[in-house]
Amino acid sequence: MANVIVNRIIDFLKKYPPFSFLSNELLGQVAAEVDLIYFEKEEFLFQKGEPAKSYFFVVKEGAIKLTDKAGGVEETVEFCDEGDVFGVLALLGKRPYILNARANEPSLIIAVPVGIFEKILNENSQVSLYFASGFASGQVVVRSGLSQTQKVRDLLGRKPDENGLMLLSGQRTLQYSHPVIQCPLGTSVFNAVIQMSKASVGSIMVVDENQHPKGIITDKDLRNRLIAKGLSYDTRVEAIMSQPVVTASKELEFSEVYLNMVKHRLHHLVFTEDGSPDSPLLGIISDHDILLSQGNSPAVLIKALQESEDIHEMAKLRNQAEGMLKYYLENELSIDFIAGILTEINDTIIRSAIRLALTKLQPSFPEVQELDFCFLGLGSEGRGEQLLRTDLDNALVYQDVPEHLREKAQSFMHLLSRDVLDVLFACGFHSCPAEMMANNPQWCQPLSQWKRYFSQWIREPNPQSLMMGTIFFDFRAVAGKHSLADALTQHVYEEIRQEKVFLNFFAKNALLNPPPLGFFRNFMVEKSGEHAEKFDIKLRAMMPLADAARVLILSHQVVGINNTFKRYEKLAELEPNQASLFRDAGKAYEIFMRIRALEGLANESSGRFIQPDSLGKLQRQLLKNAFFPIDEIQKILKVRFQLDYFGN
Amino acid sequence: MDWRALFGFASLPKPDFISAYEKSLERKIPKSKPLSELAFLVLDTETTGLDVKKDHVLSYGSLQVIDSRIRISSSKEFYLKPKKRNREAIKVHGLVQERPYVSRERVIRTFLEDARHQVLVGHHIGFDLAMLERVGKSLGLRKIKNPALDTYDLAVRLDRGRYYDPHTVPSKEYSLDHLCERYAIALDDRHTAAGDAFLTAQLLVKLLKVAEAKGIKTYGDLLG
Repeated sequence: MANVIVNRIIDFLKKYPPFSFLSNELLGQVAAEVDLIYFEKEEFLFQKGEPAKSYFFVVKEGAIKLTDKAGGVEETVEFCDEGDVFGVLALLGKRPYILNARANEPSLIIAVPVGIFEKILNENSQVSLYFASGFASGQVVVRSGLSQTQKVRDLLGRKPDENGLMLLSGQRTLQYSHPVIQCPLGTSVFNAVIQMSKASVGSIMVVDENQHPKGIITDKDLRNRLIAKGLSYDTRVEAIMSQPVVTASKELEFSEVYLNMVKHRLHHLVFTEDGSPDSPLLGIISDHDILLSQGNSPAVLIKALQESEDIHEMAKLRNQAEGMLKYYLENELSIDFIAGILTEINDTIIRSAIRLALTKLQPSFPEVQELDFCFLGLGSEGRGEQLLRTDLDNALVYQDVPEHLREKAQSFMHLLSRDVLDVLFACGFHSCPAEMMANNPQWCQPLSQWKRYFSQWIREPNPQSLMMGTIFFDFRAVAGKHSLADALTQHVYEEIRQEKVFLNFFAKNALLNPPPLGFFRNFMVEKSGEHAEKFDIKLRAMMPLADAARVLILSHQVVGINNTFKRYEKLAELEPNQASLFRDAGKAYEIFMRIRALEGLANESSGRFIQPDSLGKLQRQLLKNAFFPIDEIQKILKVRFQLDYFGN
Repeated sequence: MDWRALFGFASLPKPDFISAYEKSLERKIPKSKPLSELAFLVLDTETTGLDVKKDHVLSYGSLQVIDSRIRISSSKEFYLKPKKRNREAIKVHGLVQERPYVSRERVIRTFLEDARHQVLVGHHIGFDLAMLERVGKSLGLRKIKNPALDTYDLAVRLDRGRYYDPHTVPSKEYSLDHLCERYAIALDDRHTAAGDAFLTAQLLVKLLKVAEAKGIKTYGDLLG
């Protein structure tokens, strides 16, 4: 039995990964073997080049800095505070230490003997993944693959009791059809179909004399096995029924049922008294039932938005989408999927708003009512990355008109934009402080004017125009005539081809926000103002990656890929020798998007400013790991665009 | 002829573990040994009261500090069946529930095995050792002769130098509670023997660092 002292160690360790993944018994074994070591400020725990010790470390109290000597100067690479694990090379490679470890303040350190942990490492997949993906401090993860990290997150993020698919609105109870439409073995198909038709259901259960389910006939079976085969209606049901039926106990939780059906690709799941096929039939549930129980499935939402004529209803539906977003995020669905759904929802709102506005405005502008136009999403909206209803950035481009129609066209388009934006505001989106929105006459212009704008930005780069560039270059056709947007894209690439130096300026601009490395204990936080002590995830983590992706993708003349993470995916394809770095950058960006969205939902804010302390240990480490590619990507920009020789 | 044997007064033959302990005392710790290489056994007892003659040990906790490392694997925690239930002790220590009690012999045997070649450490260690001697008396233990370091004395010495006047020391400021607070040690499991031993061990490693900084670098400097 563990004594008071060992229990004290257990209580501490179990709060932190990887120890939090151990069973109580195993944790007890580990805790009973550790040593506690006290270090005064500036004392070394180990030094670079020393052979690995037979234990690794966990900070119990105080803080340890991991340092490296670069060019004679000792630089801090990372800070470890309470609960951080470091010095794990001893555990993994048994290689000499690659960094110095030094007490940054008086610190009490737990030394965990490698021997006892090696066994755990081999047996516990969570623990081994934790180490393998570089979660411990001082492990350089740049090239080891953030995709691995993502995997761990999925694995570690979920508590065992939450394994179900909460995606399904957290529904716990099961509602199956009861009574079930059924017929005994030996019935003719004709009679069975009459029953189905009467009850207007798409399936019928076939049971034996004991009411045990023997098979099921669905509309599909009738089509494929009866009519297509030219069989007579007098065929007995057992000849065409699907069997055996998959049965389950009614005690199952909704999530288990759902999982069961997905796993076995079932359209129907049959419930029996004891869960086996050899017990009486109780009920049946179809995938359709499950779909219907999900009032806020994306398909349902989008359809409702498409059909909505009422601004208040649209706002309500958009609010509902927020709940869905939360489920998706909490259940670690891929960002690609989440962003895709949310973008589709937002785009649908814009399309519906345009439809409503056109119906209202067209009668007043008979001369220009058939004018071609295209509504453009800019910034994160343009990149299809807007998960939260943050600031709107958009614009409108319309077809050039003869001189005498110019004014008419202008006021028509302006009114149209205004109405669309009003719908978006009503749906909870925020206005762009810099007014980069289609309802600003400056950004509601004919194609020729847009071409002039872009030419000017490309030919006369200055801080202002480069800043515009970061927002406008991500434009995406949301609604209307896509050919107008395509024409603009083509113009942009022609201009860049002629004015190559623009990309160097653009690349330089992308380096304005250095990566948040060198964070002190936690992260580089804002020093003053409203968000002091908070970490600006947009400015410090997302913008550097988005800006770099844009420059690189422009330099490759790629058209039509706006998502930052998809851009990195494309870059990985185009530059195989940098593929792993680009993939990591993409993954890092996804991680930032996810964390920001969760933060935003939790605090009903833009999610931009994050309190590092509010994140769990694992999330903090995940975030730290995700910073690494930023620096590497910026180095590539520096070299490729020769920015060291490139003045302002 | 041993007249005591004749009258049946002879003590029982000394158990092996006591002989082994006494033998271990012959080897002295060299005075030049650096503090960082010393081996300490940090211990604490909870008792029914403060009277060495009348009161009893209720529980015993200890752990070793070797090469400046607190060895959790060496930690011990034992409970003895109380002979007399002293209400006040129970109030202080909260030792009311039934414990998996061990024999007095088990406690003394373990203590003496662990104590070989170690410097014994405790907060007011003199009291704990006297109480342990009382427990061990009937087993044939006469005197605990290890070098002993009192964390109370060490803490006072580090503030006031080696030759201080004990009467001028505000002893409350050097209670285990106060010292733990001062040296930023969380007061967990206070008033259990093992819990207090663990606190004392943490206090010890911190005091030793202070001592080293003040020029107390060897065993001789510390206890010579």
